[in-house]
Formats: sequence, C-alpha cells, structure tokens
Amino acid sequence: MNTKAKERSQIKVITGNAAAAIGAKLARPDVVAAYPITPQTEVIEQISSFHASGEMDCELITVEGENSAMNAVMAASLAGGRVFTASSSWGLVFMYDAILATAGARAPVVMVNVNRETPGIIAVSSGQQDMISTRDSGWIFLIAENCQEVLDLVLQAYRLAEDYDIQVPVMVHYDGFYLSYLSEVVDVPFQEDVDQFLSVLKDQPQRTTLKPGKKLGCGSHGILGGYLELRHKHVTAMERSKAKFDQIDKEYEEIFGRSYGGQIEKYKMDDADVVLVGSGSMCGTIKSVIDEKREQGIKIGLLKMRMYRPFPSEKMIAALKGKKAIGVVDRSLNFGFKGGPIYTELKSFESKLEGAKLVSFIDGIANTDITKENVGKMIDMTGDLANGKDVQEVTWVSYPEAQGGI
Amino acid sequence: MTEKKKAKLTPVLDYLKHEDPFAKGVAFCPGCGLELLLRFIPQVMGNDIVITGTPSCSAPVLLGQNNQSWHKLSYFGTLMTGAAANATGLARYYKKAGIDNTVVCFNGDGTAADIGFGNLSGAAERNEPFIYICYDNEGYMNTGVQKSGTTPYGATTTTTPFGAASKGKNLRRMNLALKMAMHKIPYAATATLSDLGDLAKKLLKAKEMKEKGFCFLHVFAPCPTGWGAAPDNTIEICRRAVKTNYFPLWEAENGKIRMTKTIKKPKPVKTYTELMKKFKFMDEEDHKILQDDVDYEYCILGGLSVLEAECQLPLPADE
Repeated sequence: MNTKAKERSQIKVITGNAAAAIGAKLARPDVVAAYPITPQTEVIEQISSFHASGEMDCELITVEGENSAMNAVMAASLAGGRVFTASSSWGLVFMYDAILATAGARAPVVMVNVNRETPGIIAVSSGQQDMISTRDSGWIFLIAENCQEVLDLVLQAYRLAEDYDIQVPVMVHYDGFYLSYLSEVVDVPFQEDVDQFLSVLKDQPQRTTLKPGKKLGCGSHGILGGYLELRHKHVTAMERSKAKFDQIDKEYEEIFGRSYGGQIEKYKMDDADVVLVGSGSMCGTIKSVIDEKREQGIKIGLLKMRMYRPFPSEKMIAALKGKKAIGVVDRSLNFGFKGGPIYTELKSFESKLEGAKLVSFIDGIANTDITKENVGKMIDMTGDLANGKDVQEVTWVSYPEAQGGI
Repeated sequence: MTEKKKAKLTPVLDYLKHEDPFAKGVAFCPGCGLELLLRFIPQVMGNDIVITGTPSCSAPVLLGQNNQSWHKLSYFGTLMTGAAANATGLARYYKKAGIDNTVVCFNGDGTAADIGFGNLSGAAERNEPFIYICYDNEGYMNTGVQKSGTTPYGATTTTTPFGAASKGKNLRRMNLALKMAMHKIPYAATATLSDLGDLAKKLLKAKEMKEKGFCFLHVFAPCPTGWGAAPDNTIEICRRAVKTNYFPLWEAENGKIRMTKTIKKPKPVKTYTELMKKFKFMDEEDHKILQDDVDYEYCILGGLSVLEAECQLPLPADE
C-alpha cells in the first residue's frame, strides 16, 4: 500500500465492523435496511446509533429478515436512492433470490458481507464459503485485507456501483472474526473529502429511476431479444468495471493518499520466482512471512486479489506469467473440484502463464487460523515445486490427515 | 324504474374519476376477478400510483412480457418472497426524497398468505407507509391451480386432488385479513367485486390512511378457470360469498373492527359452493365442517367488533 500521509486525517482505533459502518455513514445513503447476524451485527448497531443520534440522515429499515433487507434496498435503489445493507453467511444466502434480482435489475446496491462459514449452524467461524456460494450472482465482489481497507472499499464501492457506465451492485467482503472484531488503527476520512470523492456521481448522466406517474416500470420478464441484450450488457459492464476500479483507486489516492493497486495488489512481486495468491486478512500474515523469508534470500512475493468478481484475469496473467511456481490459498471449498475456487479459476489460465506451475492450498476454514507457520509451509512447498520437486496438487494445510488423500 | 336503477349505479361510477390505464384487450381469462380489480384500482385511486406485482396471473399484464407491460402505470415486478419489502424500499425512498407517492403492493394469496407472509407481517409491524392489496383467488392459479393457505376446506386443486384417499383440501383456510387487522395497523379491510361501491370507498380510505402507515386490503377475487365456474358467474359468486358470510365485508381502523355490510339472514354456505366444480366432491358432512368454520369465523368477527364499544375482559381462568 502506498500511503501518502495527508495533513487532514483523524486516526481512530476501530473494528472492521465499525469501519464498514463509518464508511456507510460517510457515503450518506438514503435508505439502509439490515438484519443482525454474527459477525456482522456491530455494523447495524453502529448505523442504528448514528441514526438515533441524528448523525446519519437516512431511512433505516429494521427488517424482519435478510431477504427483506435486500428486497428493500433493491427497490429503493431502483427508485433512485443510495442504499446500504450488510450481512453474513446464512443471512447472505437467505437474501439470495433478491441478490440475483438486484443484479438482474442492475440496481447499484452497495453492501458489506462479513465472511463466515456455512456448513450448519455450528459454523460460527470465519471462511469465504458464503462468498463462493454467491459468486455467480452477477455482483462485483471486492475483498478487504484490513480495517482501513474495509472503510476505503465501501467508499470506492459506491463510485463503482453507481458509475453510469457500470451500474452493477457491489459487495465488499471482509473476514468475519478476524476483521469484524479486530480493532486497528484507521484513518477516517473527513466528510467533505468523501463528498468531493463521490461528487463525480452527481455530475455524470443520471440513470433511469422508478418514480410515481412516470409511466415507467422494471422487472418485466423478457423472453426474446430483450433478455439476451440485458445479459450481454451486464457481462460487458462487469468487464468495464475492472479498469474503472483501477481508475477509482487512483482518484482515491489523490484525495485520501491511499492506493492499493486497483484489482490486485502486488507485494514484492517484481523479482519473485515464487508467488502466493491470497485474499482478505490472510494477506497481512503472508506479507510478514514473506519479509522473513526474503531475509533468508528466498525470492517470494504475494498477489492479493482485491477484486474477485469480475475475475481480474488480465492483471493476474500479467503479474504471474513467467514465475516459477504459484501457490493459491483458498479460504473456501469448491465442491466438485479438488482444489480451491480461486485455484481452479486461475488454473483455467495456466496456458497463458508461460510455464508457471500451480498448486492449491486450502486453509483458514472451520475455525482454523492461517498461522505464520502454515504460510511458511505453503511457501516451502511452492518453492519445492519451483525447484522441480514433486508436490501434491491440493493441500489442506491445517488437516495433515488429509495429505495426499483426495 | 330506469331512474331508480340509474340512481343505484351512480355511486359506483362516481368513484371512477381517472382513466383506465390498461389496454383494452389483455391476456386474462374470461370472467377473471383479478382483471376487474386491477382496472378498478387506478380508476379510483389515480394513475400516479406505483404498483408492484409478483410472478402470478397478474404478471403478464401488470409486469409485461418481453419488452413492456400492458398499461401506463409506473410498476415494479418483484419476487414473491419479498413483495412487501420491495414496496417498503420504494415508499421509504420516496419519503426520504420528499416525493408524494401511493405505493400499491398488489399480490395474490400465494404471496400474501404463504411465501411472502413474513415480510407482509414485518411491514405491518413497522407500519410502513404503503397499501398492500391481496387479491384472493384461493390458490396458485397461474401455475395451474394448486392449494394455498387460503384454499378453503373441501376444495379440490391439483395438489389436493380427488382420489380414493382424498376428497380435496382437508384443512381449513387461514383468515389473512383478520391476522393483518390484529397488527393494529391504521387500516385493514375486506372487499369483493359484487360490492364495488364498498371497495371504492375502502381504496380511497386506504389512500388517505396510508399517510398514517400500513394499509391492507383483502379482496375476494374468484378465478372461474381454476374454480370450475362459469365466467359470467364471477360477480354472483362474490355476492353469494358475502350473503353466506363466507366472506364478510368489514374494515378495521387501528384494529377496531366495524362491519361495512351485515347480512340479516345468512344463506347456507352450500348456496355458495354449488356454483363451483371445485367443491363438487363435498358431501353433507363436509358442508357441515365448512359451515361450522364460516360460523366460527363470523363469531370471532362479532366478538372483535364489539371492542370499539367496550372492552370485554376474558372470562376468569379456572382456579
């Protein structure tokens, strides 16, 4: 991260959930609807207290379930409002029909999803399985590494979702428990700076909205040409969002002094032979292990995925081609495939990676920590692969019983 | 004689102050109760309503197929699961933006009583500022006549068919309107198509009362196709539903129930069921069960309607 410290800053020590709530408040949404679920609850508690104190002038809808939260913000968004919601795990999948409809309607909804597992109600633990379960919904997915990035991504998400050329809902993901409850130093932007950053959205052409008496509707079920046209436009808007996100990251830096690199963040990648691909809070741990390994002379780097949907294929291929070996760390499973989801997706570009070998690591699910020791193991195994040794394709790092077992 | 007839009709026609925004020829079945209701609402309430609807019989006309709908209203096609939440989002945004609005959330009984009841009840609890209208044709008619929570005892549907072990639905229907009135919302009412003057008054009342919050209208709307009835009998079915107290007409302001039409000598429910093939497998015993249920519901309504006069304390518990 390139930090250009600005004189105008207000440093606070806050949780990832508080960062998300403050980000939402700074964006001045018209309508917020949400329902509590661990580990997201603090987000809506904070927003409710901002609303109660008058700091936040929005319509707050304390719905009777997550499905209604998404339905309410979708409709408010189509009517012309700026909206926000937050969920996690079961809450996210309880919204799923409305998540699909929101994408289909191209409603520029912004939400945060605090990643949590989904195998049963026992799964009160971190993991990106909820993200994977909803990845094909047609939303743009962004992933934050730390509390500062949570706040920054919420603001950037509005610029992306509401951009006239994009108009696709955006979901900002951050790891439950690790980031939701972790207090970190966060530079909270000033309201006037945020207003300036978002003012671009007022100056652009305005999208069509649903208003009384306008004789306009939405939600028609096209069967013939209209349907294909809508779907094709959606896919091309998703593609456009990649470069747009890079541009927004640069503009964000101009105002706030923080840049992350857009779709991907490259950490010590330039001279690296061996690369780990990761996302979310694990990247902090990976970076510190990389620093240690580099002191031992091992040329290792990290490619952090900040944008997961659309898949930043071009940027990833450009950054990874010619490397000796790549270890992809997934915090979720890809049922039907042995390797993790991001690994499997990257594997489809293998022919363009100029001989780079790929290996899959699954870790950080079901209440296991991605420890420095685990990261060290992954780096060593990927290094072995780079040196021509035989390394198994998929490793469940925290479950030695499974080694070589799939 | 002619003058007298005219005088009787005028009150209904007087309510039709706005143009019919629907195309003249639409894809509803002959005798469809829903079509009459759908055309009636904007003619009474105005063409500036924002109407929402779900996948249902109303969808092709209300929400359009391919590129456009068959009317000139602002509309939003919602999912059945979240219809009331969609209407909530619209109404709340208009409120925040200071835009005058009448959001009409228009759904069948499948959405209102079954799959979307949770968010209907939630919207009522939060007293959301919009009007929810349920057109009750007692089943999932668009998907081909399946049982819903408001399908009455004895009715055959494709999921409660007649067979060696079945004579139709062997469960009672839920009383959706009463459940909604018990949320103590500003306005709840029942209405049907044989009493259009009553319906028009209730639509206008709802438009007025939605300034205070959530309004719910439960409109009994027969489906000749799904019920096995003659298309020209729709209004007669409604009339007999009222005259047998199968579907009593009432309204409730803040939970206080008041009858808007009372039947001095209610007819046996059989005079209603005999108009439809869906009840044809009911014998005398089945009719007694249905009649008892109709009487029970009417009795509850009677008990609740005295609330306005004086509070009746529950009988003391047995010691």
